[in-house]
Amino acid sequence: MSLALRDLQAAFAAHLAGAARADLLAVVTGDTIPAAARLAVYRHHVFDSLGTALAATFPTVQALVGADFFRRLARDFIALSPPAQPVLAEYGAGLPAFIAGYEPASGLPYLADIARLDWALNLAFHAPAGHRLAAADLSAIAIERLPSMSLALAAGAALLRSRYPLDRIWQASQPGAAGGTVDLNSGGADLLILRRPDDATFVSLAAGETAFIARLAEAKSLEVAAAAALQIDPLFDLSISFGRLLALDAFAALQ
Amino acid sequence: MNPLAGIGLRAPHLAEIARERPATGFFEIHAENYLAPSPALSAVERLRADYPLSLHAVGLSVGSTDGLDGAHLARVTALAKRLEPAWVSDHLSWSVLGGRYFNDLLPLPYTEEALEVVVCNVGRLQEALGRQVAIENPSCYLGFAHSTLSEPEFLSELVRRSGCGLLLDANNIVVTAHNLRLDPGDWLAGLPAASITEYHLAGHAVNDADGQPILIDDHGSKVSEGVWVLYAEVLKRFGPRPTLVEWDTDIPPLGMLLDEAARADRVIRAGGHDVARAA
Repeated sequence: MSLALRDLQAAFAAHLAGAARADLLAVVTGDTIPAAARLAVYRHHVFDSLGTALAATFPTVQALVGADFFRRLARDFIALSPPAQPVLAEYGAGLPAFIAGYEPASGLPYLADIARLDWALNLAFHAPAGHRLAAADLSAIAIERLPSMSLALAAGAALLRSRYPLDRIWQASQPGAAGGTVDLNSGGADLLILRRPDDATFVSLAAGETAFIARLAEAKSLEVAAAAALQIDPLFDLSISFGRLLALDAFAALQ
Repeated sequence: MNPLAGIGLRAPHLAEIARERPATGFFEIHAENYLAPSPALSAVERLRADYPLSLHAVGLSVGSTDGLDGAHLARVTALAKRLEPAWVSDHLSWSVLGGRYFNDLLPLPYTEEALEVVVCNVGRLQEALGRQVAIENPSCYLGFAHSTLSEPEFLSELVRRSGCGLLLDANNIVVTAHNLRLDPGDWLAGLPAASITEYHLAGHAVNDADGQPILIDDHGSKVSEGVWVLYAEVLKRFGPRPTLVEWDTDIPPLGMLLDEAARADRVIRAGGHDVARAA
C-alpha cells in the first residue's frame, strides 16, 4: 500500500479537518499505539496551537468568556476559517464577524465589538512606525492653504464605534483590574486605536472628534471634516481637538 | 571565550533582555513572528548589534507538493536581508496545502518522491536567500509504511543533493526514537558531520495515547535528562556547534532559561564528557 505524496497530503489535510480517511490510516504504521491515535496527535496540535494563537491576538475576548469557552469558540472558528498563511499575528480577521453570529455567545452582545477592538490593537501593533506629523511640520505651511488640505491618519490608526461602553468593558477586563460592573446601557463609545513606539493603545473620542476623524479617513479636506464635526457638536473646537490628536501622533502627513 | 549556547528570544523576555543584556551566545527568533514592522522587530534590530541571530522559520513548508509560497518566501527573504542572521533554518516537514496553513510540522514519508520535492524546495529557498539554510529533523508521532529510507538517510541524501546544512535537534531525536521504537544511537550513525551547523535542545511532555506513553515535543519544560545524555553523545561524535535551548510554552523566567543555556555551554566545554558534573 502506498500513496502518492500529493494524495497523502490531501488525505492528511482532510484528516486534520475532521474526516476519517481509511487511505491515510492504511499507510501509517501502528503498534501498541494504533495508527489512529498517532494521527490524532497532529489533529489535536493543529487546533490547540491555533487556539493559543487566537487567544494571544484576542486577549480581551478570552478574559471576558474564560479559557474553556474561548477554546470552543476558537475550535469552531478554526474549522470554518483555517489560516491561509503562516503568520499567526495576521490570522483572525474574520473572528469578530464570526462571534457576531455565534449563538453560544449571543448573551454577550458586546463581544464582537471587543473582538474588533482586540483586532484593531493587533493591527496597530504590527503597523509600520512610519512618519508622524508634528507641530513643527505645520510651520512650513501657509495658514490660508490649511482648510483645503487633508490629513492622512498614521499607519495603524483606526476608528471603532460601538453602541456599548467598550472602553470601560475593556478596562474592567484587563489583568489586575479592580473589577466592578459596567452598565451596558450607559452609552456607546467611539475609540481611536493608535500605534505607539512600543505598543498599541486607544483613546476615547468626543462625538465631534469622531465625525472629524471619520471624514479625514475618507480623505476629505480639513474644512469639510471640521464642518461635519460642528454639525454633530456645535461646541467642537477645531484647534483644541486638532492639538490633542497631533499630540497623540494620530496623523501621518498633511497633503 | 564566548558562550556557544543561545536562547530563543520570546516576547515576555524582550524588555528584560533589552535592559539587562545577558551574556548568551546568540538569540534565536521565529521568522514568522517578525515579518511585520512591529516594535518587537525594532527591539530585535537594537539587539542585532551585540548578538548573533539565528533566524528559525516554521512555516516555509519545504515538504509541500505545492512548492514554496512565493509571497511568504519573499517576506522571509526580506527579513533575512534586514537582520543578516548568522544562521537560517526550517524543518523537514510540511504545513501548507492548497492555500491552507496547518500550523504544525507534519510528517513526510521518506521516499524518493518526497526527497525530490524537498530537494527542489530547499534549492529554491537557498537560491532566494543567496545562502545555505539548515534543515532540522522533526519530532515524529508516526511513520509511514511505504517509507524506503530512514530519517537520517533521508536527511543525509537531502544534504548531498541540495547542499543544505543540517540542524540536529537532540530532543526531536529522543522524541522520534521513543515514538517510532528506534535506537537514538543508530539514528546518529552515518550523518554527514561536516554539514551539521546547529544543535537544538528542548523539553518534551509525556502524554497518554491509548494507554501507552507518547512523547510530545512541546518546548514547555526543562531539557530532560535523557536528552542531555544524547546531546553529550552528539558532541562526542560531531564536535561543538552553536546550541539553542528552546522553551516556547509555559515560558519560564529569563534566569531559568539562561541557566539551561549555561548548562549546555558547560557540556560543550567538557566535550560531552562528564555530563553529570556539567549539570
